[in-house]
Amino acid sequence: MRSAREDEALQTARDAVALALAAGATGAEATVGIGRRLSVEAREAVITKLEQSTGKSLTVRIFVDGRKTTFATADFERDGLRAALARAVEQAEHVAADELARLPDERAETVPDLGLYDPAIVERGDDAGAEDALAIERALREADPRIVNSNGSHFGDSSSLVALANSDGFAGSYLATRASRSTSPVAHDGPHKRTAHYGTAARRLDELDDNAEVARIAAMRTTEMFGARKPGTMRVPVIFERDVAAAVLSDIFSAVNAANVAVGNSWLAGRTGEKIGSDLATIVDDGRLPGRLGSSPFDGEGVATRRTVVFERGVLRSFLYDSYFARRLGAATTGNASGGGIGPNSLYLEAGTGSLAELVAKTPRGILVLDTIGFATEHATGTYSRGARGFAIENGELAFPVEEFTIAASLPDMLAGIDAVAADLRFDGSVVSPSFRVAEMTISGS
Amino acid sequence: MLDHELLARLLSRALRNGGDYADVFCERRNALSYRLQDGHIHESGLSLTQGVGIRVIVGESAGYGYSDDLSSEALMRAADAASLIARNAPRRAHGSIPIAPVAVAPLYDQHRTAHAASRRYADLLSRADVAARAFDPRVGSVNAHITDEVQEVWIAGSDGRIVHDRRPLVTLGVQAVSTSAGDRGSGYAADGGRTSIAYFDEHDPEAIAREAARIAIVNVEAIPAPAGEMEMVVGAGAGGVLLHEAVGHGLESDFNRRGVSLYSGRVGERVANELVTILDDGNIPGERGSLSVDDEGVAGAHKVLVEDGILRGYMQDRLNARLMRVAPTGSGRRQSFRSMPQPRMCNTYMPNGESTFEEIVASTKRGIYAKGFGGGQVEISKGDFVFMVAEGYLIEDGRITAPVKNATIVGNGPEAMTRVTAVGNDSRLASRHYTCGKGGQYVPVGVGMPTVKISAITVGGTGA
Repeated sequence: MRSAREDEALQTARDAVALALAAGATGAEATVGIGRRLSVEAREAVITKLEQSTGKSLTVRIFVDGRKTTFATADFERDGLRAALARAVEQAEHVAADELARLPDERAETVPDLGLYDPAIVERGDDAGAEDALAIERALREADPRIVNSNGSHFGDSSSLVALANSDGFAGSYLATRASRSTSPVAHDGPHKRTAHYGTAARRLDELDDNAEVARIAAMRTTEMFGARKPGTMRVPVIFERDVAAAVLSDIFSAVNAANVAVGNSWLAGRTGEKIGSDLATIVDDGRLPGRLGSSPFDGEGVATRRTVVFERGVLRSFLYDSYFARRLGAATTGNASGGGIGPNSLYLEAGTGSLAELVAKTPRGILVLDTIGFATEHATGTYSRGARGFAIENGELAFPVEEFTIAASLPDMLAGIDAVAADLRFDGSVVSPSFRVAEMTISGS
Repeated sequence: MLDHELLARLLSRALRNGGDYADVFCERRNALSYRLQDGHIHESGLSLTQGVGIRVIVGESAGYGYSDDLSSEALMRAADAASLIARNAPRRAHGSIPIAPVAVAPLYDQHRTAHAASRRYADLLSRADVAARAFDPRVGSVNAHITDEVQEVWIAGSDGRIVHDRRPLVTLGVQAVSTSAGDRGSGYAADGGRTSIAYFDEHDPEAIAREAARIAIVNVEAIPAPAGEMEMVVGAGAGGVLLHEAVGHGLESDFNRRGVSLYSGRVGERVANELVTILDDGNIPGERGSLSVDDEGVAGAHKVLVEDGILRGYMQDRLNARLMRVAPTGSGRRQSFRSMPQPRMCNTYMPNGESTFEEIVASTKRGIYAKGFGGGQVEISKGDFVFMVAEGYLIEDGRITAPVKNATIVGNGPEAMTRVTAVGNDSRLASRHYTCGKGGQYVPVGVGMPTVKISAITVGGTGA
C-alpha cells in the first residue's frame, strides 16, 4: 500500500522523466527524496542545539544516446525544471558517447516491505529527543566522576521517502527511518584532556542502546586511556575492536567497488577467483536484511537489492556493481547503485565465535586497537596505515593503554592474516564487522 | 533572494520566544562539473540548490530550521523551529526589525554569472589527460575533474544588517596511476580558487597533469616508508596541512569556549617554539579559503593565532565570540543553508623564517622529507594528529635519497610545535584544492608553510 505522499513524490519523479524526454533525452531516471530530521545537542543541563528541518531533492540522470549527465535540484517548480533539464541535455553534448551508458537492463519487479520504517520515530516529539540528550549528559557524570566536561551529547532522528521512476517503466517508493544517540565526554588525565566518542544508530528506536549504555561506554573509552604511552616499534598481532574493524571493511569496500576496479584503482582488479584472505574472511553484501540500516528494496537505479558473497573463505567471488560498471566488466549488477555511484548495502564480515575479551585472552602479546585516525589507504596498492590508540596486550591481558602510534600493513596481508574473528557483529551502520585479529602488523611508536 | 519585508517578518517570528540574536541565511548555488575517465569525458553534472536557514541564539544555545521551499509558509515554519530553543528562556521584547543593506568590499568578481561554454571545460580536461599520459609511458590510468560553482548568499541579522556575497570557486584536479613491474603508484594534483575558469588560461591544465603524473612516477619507484621516530623536514606550501591539523583546529573558538581544547584558556602562554608564527587570513585574493564576508555576515580579519610561539587568540564565530566577550573574526562558516555555522579556518599559514631549504636538509641526519600531503585529522582535546604523506623521501646524512611511499605521520600538536628547530625563508601557499571537514560540514580552505624542520616525529611505515 502506497501512501498519498509516496504517490505524489512518484508523480513528481514521473513528470521529471517526461520533461527530460521532451528536452531530447533518450532515457531518463528521476529520484525524489523527501526528508524530515531532528537533531539535538545537550551539554550539562542545557539544550545547546535544537534543529528541526524538512528538505527535498530531485536528481535526474539523463542519457542522450550514450551521453550521460546528472541534474540535481530542490526546486520542483515545473517551468524552472523544464528550462534546467533542457540545459542539462545541452550539457550532455560534450560528454563522449558510451554505448554502455544507459538505464539498467533489469529492474525490481516487486518492492517488498523490509521493515525500514518505525512509526514510533515519526510520532515522537522533539521534547523526547531533547530529554534523551540531557539524560546522556547526566549519565556521563554518573558513570564516572572523572568525566568533567563534554563535547556534547546528541540525539538525532530522521524519516525519509524515496521515490524513483525511469523511462523504462520502473516506478517504486519506500519509507525509512533512522535514529541515533552519541556522546563525547572529556576527562582530565594530569595535564592532558582526553576524549572519546561512542554512538549507536538503528532504523528502529527500540534497537538503539539506551542513554545510560551510550554514556557508560563513552565514559569507559575516555577514562580507560588514562596514562597511555607510546608503544615501541615492533611487529605483533593486532586485534581490531568491532568499530575500527568496520573501518577496515570500508577500505575493503573501496577495493571491491567496481568503479575503482574498472579504472585500475583497486589492488583486487583482475583477481576474481583467487584465494586472497584467510579461511575466516567471508564478506557479504546484503541489501535485504530486514530492518537494517543498509537495506532497501531497490538500489539507486531501481534494481532489486540482493545478497552478494564478496569473499568466501578468503576467495574473491564478486565485486560490487551498478549496471554501468557491470556492463564494463562483463558482469551482472549486484544492486549496489547509490547516489550516482556504487555504495555498500549491509557489507559485513561473517561473525566468528567468542567475545572480544576471549579474543584478547588467547593473544599472548599484541595490540588491541580501539580507535584510529586518518584515512591513508592507497587503493591502487592496498597499503593501509593509520594513527591508532588502544591497549598493549601481554600474557593475554590488557597490560596498559597505548597511543600516538601507527599501524601499517597491506590490505591483502591483513585479509590473509585474519586468524580469529569474534561473535560481536552488530548492524549499527551499513558497513559493519565483528572484532577480528590480524596475525602480524607493523606498529610504529618510539 | 527574499524581500526585506519578508526577512524582517522571519526575524521577528524567529525571536517570538526571545533570544539574543537571530539570522536568516539565504543561499543559491549553481555548480557545474565534468569528469574525464579513460581519455573521454565520462559524465557531467549540473546542480542548482537554493534554501534558507534560520537561527536563533540564546546564550550558549542555538535553534535552527531550514527550508528549501521558499514559500512564506514554509519559511515561517523554519522560523518557528528555530524559535523553539528559546521557549524556556526569559522573554525579551523585540520590536520590528528594519533591514538595511551593508556594503561588502568584494574579494572576487561579483559579476560573474553563468558558466562558460561546455566545450571549454571538456577541452581543459582533455588537455590534462594528454599531458599526464605524455609525461611517462608508465602512467596508465588518468582521471580528471573540473568543477565550477557560484555560491550566492544573503545574510540578514536581527541587528538589521543584510549583506550579500557572491563566491565563485573553480577546481581542476588530476589523478594519475602509474604501473611498473607489478608496482603501482598514484599521484594527485589540483589547482583553482575563487575565480573563473579563465584562471586556466594562465595556469595550464598541462602543468597540473604533469605534477600528478610526476608524483605517480615518484611513488611507483618508492620504497616502503621506514617505521619509528625520526627527524622530519616538512615541505613548503603543502606542509601547511600540518599546521591546519596540529594547531589550527585546536584554536577554533567553540572547542576553547567549551574548555575541551588543549589550548583552552591559554591566550598569552607559550604554546610553540619561538620560531613559530601562525596566521589565518580570509582576505587573500583568489584563495579557496577567502571570503568577502563569512557565513554570519562578518568581514574577514587577518588573525594572528600564534606569534613567536605565544598564543594570541582564537578563530571566532558570533555565538562563541559573544560568550567569550571578544569580537567575531569572520570565521563563522557553514557548508550550506542546511547547517549552522561553526568557527572554522580560512587560509592558515606560517610566514617566513630565516633558514634556507638547503641548510635545513643538510642539518638532518636521518629523517623523512614530507613534500606533499594527502590530508590529515586531529583529536582536539589532547592534540594528537595524523597525516598522510603523498610524496616523501628519505634524508640520510643531510642528503635527500630514495622516495618512500605510504608514510603516515603521527604526533601531538603542541609537542611537535615545541620541536620546530628551523623555519625556512621559502613560505608559500599550497596549490588551491584543500577541503576541510568538521562535524560533517565541508568547506574550502587554504594552507601554507615554509620548509620547516621538526626534530622528532613518529613515522608509520612498513619498511626498516
